[in-house]
Amino acid sequence: MRPEILLPAQKCTLGCPILDQFLAGGVPCGSITELSGESGSGKTQLALQLLLSAQLPLSLGGLSASSLYLHSEPPYPFRRFEQLSKAFYLSYPQLFDSVECVCNNVHVQDLHSADHLFDVVLKLDSALAEESRKAMPIKVIVIDSIAALFRSEFENTPFDLKRRASLFFKISIKLKLLAKRYGIAVLVTNQVVDVMRSSGDLNALRIGNIDLYSSGRRICPALGISWASCVNSRLFLSMNEEIVGNAMGEGDANISCRRTKREMHVVFAPHLPSSSCEYVINREGVFGVGGQIKASVSGTSFKSDASKNPTFLLCDKDYSCGKSVTLDSFSS
Amino acid sequence: MEVSRLPVSASTRGKLISAGYTSFSSLSNFSPSELAIAVKIPEKEADEILKLATHDGKSDNTKGTQAVVSGGQTAWDMLKEDEGLRCITTSCAALDKILGGGINCKEVTEIGGVPGIGKTQLGIQLAINVQIPHEHGGLAAKAIYIDTEGSFMVERVLQIAAACLSEYYELPRRGSNANQPNRQPQDLLENIYYFRVCSYTEQIAAINYLGKFIKEHKEVKIVIVDSITFHFRQDFENMALRTRLLSELALKLMKVANEFKLAVVLLNQVTTKYSEGSVHLTLALGDSWSHASTNRIILHWNANERYAYIDKSPTLQSSSAPYAVTGKGIRDSVSDHKRAKLM
Repeated sequence: MRPEILLPAQKCTLGCPILDQFLAGGVPCGSITELSGESGSGKTQLALQLLLSAQLPLSLGGLSASSLYLHSEPPYPFRRFEQLSKAFYLSYPQLFDSVECVCNNVHVQDLHSADHLFDVVLKLDSALAEESRKAMPIKVIVIDSIAALFRSEFENTPFDLKRRASLFFKISIKLKLLAKRYGIAVLVTNQVVDVMRSSGDLNALRIGNIDLYSSGRRICPALGISWASCVNSRLFLSMNEEIVGNAMGEGDANISCRRTKREMHVVFAPHLPSSSCEYVINREGVFGVGGQIKASVSGTSFKSDASKNPTFLLCDKDYSCGKSVTLDSFSS
Repeated sequence: MEVSRLPVSASTRGKLISAGYTSFSSLSNFSPSELAIAVKIPEKEADEILKLATHDGKSDNTKGTQAVVSGGQTAWDMLKEDEGLRCITTSCAALDKILGGGINCKEVTEIGGVPGIGKTQLGIQLAINVQIPHEHGGLAAKAIYIDTEGSFMVERVLQIAAACLSEYYELPRRGSNANQPNRQPQDLLENIYYFRVCSYTEQIAAINYLGKFIKEHKEVKIVIVDSITFHFRQDFENMALRTRLLSELALKLMKVANEFKLAVVLLNQVTTKYSEGSVHLTLALGDSWSHASTNRIILHWNANERYAYIDKSPTLQSSSAPYAVTGKGIRDSVSDHKRAKLM
């Protein structure tokens, strides 16, 4: 045995410079990153964007690699995927021949049970060994979502919970092994559950430095503390309605304009401070909004490098995120 | 050093032990021919054993205590030795205070807490702090980091290293240091021997190998295992086997801590425990594991603050202290600072 040479972890871009800066380069290779949020918060969209971005060359923050999408929540979002891949292709027409080429680098596999996931992960080892000899080896694996597999199959009894936790660890050990061996970035999406406990218990069961609220409810990522011990980093997507101002409507009635404020939070990560970053979802994908990186409320968090350096890449032409803030889901 | 670990054939070892020679010190007064007769082995083999035994005895005994004579030390010697050992600071004064100065050498310290509480951060901080030079009260030593979870992020280590450098190394010092080139964060990184283990068999192998590795790298003064738990939380078909493997690991780590006078820090996860219908959090690996470490520290949230609580220690009072995880690493909690000022 010999100690390893230490090099900074490679990162895979999410396809948005602001989100990349927020995450200090993107999703790290060699470890598991969890992305949780309510339904409709944009988990799958971000996942798809990551799958596409993996094929970008290193100079653009990608891994020049193909990716694998393991999905367990039918239906497969192929329409959205098509939209995103078109937008992706149009952003980099000089790099790829056609939209088809772009899509061909994303492999898809269905999952129908937790045990099936374990089987797939076991088989991946030899498949990835073969892949690693190709020009575009698989370097990104997305599991969307882990919760769908585990929330249906197991009863809420101590016996089943123990069996479930054990399976978490088995899967996570294997995934981390693959991530390490082949330099793969693993992204796992997770659902959320409402927190319904008296405040006395909250301290003990609290994970991470921030209270997570979304749509006005106190929530936390699903699957409990044993799954939380299986991931290296945990990101959380929240959405909260906010009133942006009163506009005069037709007639004399005041119509208050509301929009959904979406934020990405770092709950915990070995390399990132707890902080948050606003983002929007538009036709071209998910994009961070410039200058919105905040350190977390409590004084114990540490400032990110990004916050020291306020010169964010504000709204690249391709991304048109400035406009979309106001376009994003208005309701009256 | 015991005869049971001599690198000779098992049957010879068996003969030696059954004849009552269990420690090297019991062999020290023999000549090869005497030993050959006493244990009924060829003289050549006896010669070899004695060579091995005395060689080992010497390398074990660099500090010149009388340990070899009786295979033990007096309490006075141990007390003296203990006073000579330096602690490894955590960079948080409140935490150092309840720990009696920092993480102790020659002890196994277990640190547990929920995900995101800062276990890995503390581990990285200690791997850096063990390198603080002597003139600043440090050990000027190196670290071994056994990573089982893959959370050791080099970019974060460099951040913490840079903060440590600006605090300790670049202070104006009198003497001949002006000519020395400034140390870079990268240099501190090179003093961390990093092992990434991906299965529990690899973990056992790594810990078995520790002794040999440290013998070749005597500067190592801290071993951090992040985390000891991860690979042991999957379903073992035989839970008794798990307990055995774990207690064996614990013994080996204690031995390493003692033999090389270094600190062993084991990071642990938490699990939920059902008892009498209620659920509460407890450190993972069960009750028998709780005997494995000398000190046990639990990290937990209290409102918006992180706290460390001494759960078990033979020498320290059980108490708790707030700490913070900052861009520079582990530091004093800000609000604790304010409280101190008010008082």
